[in-house]
Amino acid sequence: VGEFQSHSVHEKKNAPSAEVAPCACALNSAVTIPAILVQVIPGRDNAGIEALCWVGQRLFSAGLRGEITEYDLENLQPKCSVDAYGGPIWTISCNSMGTLLAVGCEDGTVKIFEILEDRIQFQRSFDRQKCRIISLSWHPSGKLLAAGVMDMIRIFDVETGHSIHRMHVERLVGASKSREVVVWNNLKSEQIKHRVSYGLIDGTSEGTVVQFQFLSRTVNQQDKDWVRTRTFKNHTHDVRALVHTEISVVSGGMDTQVVVRPLLDKVEKNTQESALRKIVFPHRSLVCCAKKLGLLLFQFSDHLELWRLGESEGQGRPGESLLVKRKPEKLIHLKRKGEDHIRCSALSPCGEWLAYSTVSSVRLYMLQIDNNNIRITKVSKLPKILNSAQQLCFSSDSTKLFATCSQSSVIVVSLSQSECKYVHTLNPQPGEHPVHLLHASDDGNWLVTANTGFEIHVYNLQKLKLHCTVPVYSSCPTALAINPTTRNLITAHADQQIFEFSLVQKEYTDWSRKLQKQGLHPLWLQRDTPITHVTFNPKNSAHILLHDVFMFCIVDKSLPLPEARSQLSNQMTLRSLPESERMRHSHAFKICKTFQYLLSLTLLDDQSLVVVERPLTDIQSQLPAPVRQKKFAT
Amino acid sequence: MAPKKRGVTDSLSKADSEEIMESWGLELGSSDDDAPDEVTFEDSKAQALRSVKQALENGRREKDLLKEKRKKRLELFQEQKKRKLISAKLLEEIDSSQQSQQEADTRHQDEDEDQKEKTKQKLKHSRMLKGNYEVTTVKPPTLASSQQKAAEDFLHSRLYGAGSCRTTTNEMLSLQNKTARTKGAAFCFVKSNWAPERKSKAENLKRRWIHKQVPSS
Repeated sequence: VGEFQSHSVHEKKNAPSAEVAPCACALNSAVTIPAILVQVIPGRDNAGIEALCWVGQRLFSAGLRGEITEYDLENLQPKCSVDAYGGPIWTISCNSMGTLLAVGCEDGTVKIFEILEDRIQFQRSFDRQKCRIISLSWHPSGKLLAAGVMDMIRIFDVETGHSIHRMHVERLVGASKSREVVVWNNLKSEQIKHRVSYGLIDGTSEGTVVQFQFLSRTVNQQDKDWVRTRTFKNHTHDVRALVHTEISVVSGGMDTQVVVRPLLDKVEKNTQESALRKIVFPHRSLVCCAKKLGLLLFQFSDHLELWRLGESEGQGRPGESLLVKRKPEKLIHLKRKGEDHIRCSALSPCGEWLAYSTVSSVRLYMLQIDNNNIRITKVSKLPKILNSAQQLCFSSDSTKLFATCSQSSVIVVSLSQSECKYVHTLNPQPGEHPVHLLHASDDGNWLVTANTGFEIHVYNLQKLKLHCTVPVYSSCPTALAINPTTRNLITAHADQQIFEFSLVQKEYTDWSRKLQKQGLHPLWLQRDTPITHVTFNPKNSAHILLHDVFMFCIVDKSLPLPEARSQLSNQMTLRSLPESERMRHSHAFKICKTFQYLLSLTLLDDQSLVVVERPLTDIQSQLPAPVRQKKFAT
Repeated sequence: MAPKKRGVTDSLSKADSEEIMESWGLELGSSDDDAPDEVTFEDSKAQALRSVKQALENGRREKDLLKEKRKKRLELFQEQKKRKLISAKLLEEIDSSQQSQQEADTRHQDEDEDQKEKTKQKLKHSRMLKGNYEVTTVKPPTLASSQQKAAEDFLHSRLYGAGSCRTTTNEMLSLQNKTARTKGAAFCFVKSNWAPERKSKAENLKRRWIHKQVPSS
């Protein structure tokens, strides 16, 4: 690492925070471990989601606005919205056949919607109750529906719409304030009734998740009872959403974290599957850097911030911290227009263009930054085809803007001071997977896209044609980049594998084959955060820079690969060794863990490295109040 | 007490005579041994009239002076007002020129045309409003939004309302610091930029307190 001088400015406080606290989560049936964040459907102001529901491959949500929304998962935006006319909606649930959707409303009605191929249609409304409906649960046969209201559970006959049973639930002392307990009570009674062999789970305001299982109290006895079996404490704040899958419990809390807790009796011990996974930050880059001017763009859900890096005095030796000559300053605070949250943003490498996109529109701005004069003008005439983008990217010479839109196609727009012109649409085959990674190479010849179907397409920008498609690997790509000098494509995947693909020969390089043959270090494979960014050192083409949330790594291809038994992060031990010994012990992976909760890593033109850190305590200090817990002897 | 009282009652007539004696005594003192000058009734009358006149005149003059003073002050105020008005105009002109510069300069951050209009409006209002107020147009609440608000309030009261046993984030993090393997101080001391408003308030209070203490000691 010593070859790079460390840049003294680390943005610590002003980087983007995690998305809003999850209030609801639902998992599709095909869950892979480790789970990674693949795509984000941006939200809107005043439209918090209270409940989510998968119906096959379709996703429905309901919220306190009183609307049921279906999402277009190809274009990642709301497809259609239906007002339930029952006030705010607390819960949504579909029957096991996937034909009917039930919603519980504030005014005490349960409404049934029929799921048609392209929309949902109101079918009927059940008898109105006096209190708001907070939870719903279908009987597996689809003939009965249990609805939980405060202190009571009602069972409805779906045919007639009348309530046939009523069950009073004792208020649990202390905990009955949270609605999760009511949900639990509901589920419990429901499952006692219908003998579902699953365990059930309950989240509390203290941040604990409690699992109950339907077991016999003593061995070899027939009478079974609900027994509290496990208690997990993974959250510091309220648990707001819970999903019980076949092998794990997934919980989302007010502390902005999603925790995947595998059940150890369902998975093999001491494997990749059995590890607890915490998802703290979104697995995508929210920071953009203009290398030439030293500008950083931070993307928040409701605004963008443009910062200029400070300057430090002279050069120092490793381990020293330099004096700051000029402090970093915030140049622009750009508020978005409208209600839709910002989906993606980009800053051109020369720092002259800035673009962001919401679900409904794309906005492009021209920046002029002299020493203290900052001028920002909106480009008013954009091509009509550019109405919404999932990813935005500028070419290295800032003359082109690339935007991905529906069916994984890429729109190329040429930029100049006078006008913006639509040039071409790069369209591989009509696919239905949205693009989640977009990268233009530094030499301006190549453009790479990766979609959630794990396909990676490489385009030649001179000919505006598809150059080649990388063989599909079984794990989702999380970061990719093209080395301009060697014309090799580096891809990092969710299962921590790294591949190098030669664009000239259209095959994996020798180094990549060697890496696959020898296998990556076990400690490298055990990391649970994906690589989110790949860059290169323009001075030395053998260097690849990678980073995830907890570390950054410089891969030196000229050095031998680490063996499974050797130490992986050995920078400290190398430093203590004499010069002659170092060469023998050093290996290709040079790892630095000094900076934690990394959001971005960029190598500037003057060989200094910009690292954006986001300490977790900054986010924690802004969270709502947690529940008081008595700790012994404090 | 009784004898004193009796003494007072006895000396009533005496006291009267003494008073008279005193009033005479002054004149007696001035002329010592000489016999008193004879002052005719007319002379004394004229003198008395003169003194009364003088007193009246004095009063009138004072009133006039006061009036003049007030007049002068009023004129001064009016002049000042005029001067102020002119300066305000000038200032406005200068202001507007500066604004146009600043608007071009995007340190002002809002670059959309609508936003510009908004800032202009805000500036117009800001002349009228004292203190930290802002003018916005309020949308009439719809049924859906009021229901949504009610539902949110319900949720909030359930989670954070009375009896929810909440602490502060500071306490929670401090407890973590305290029970961790490497012990640390309370979080508000560890983190330098914790609660900046409260800190500045406390600083002000402290300064005021010290200021109060100094003169008394």
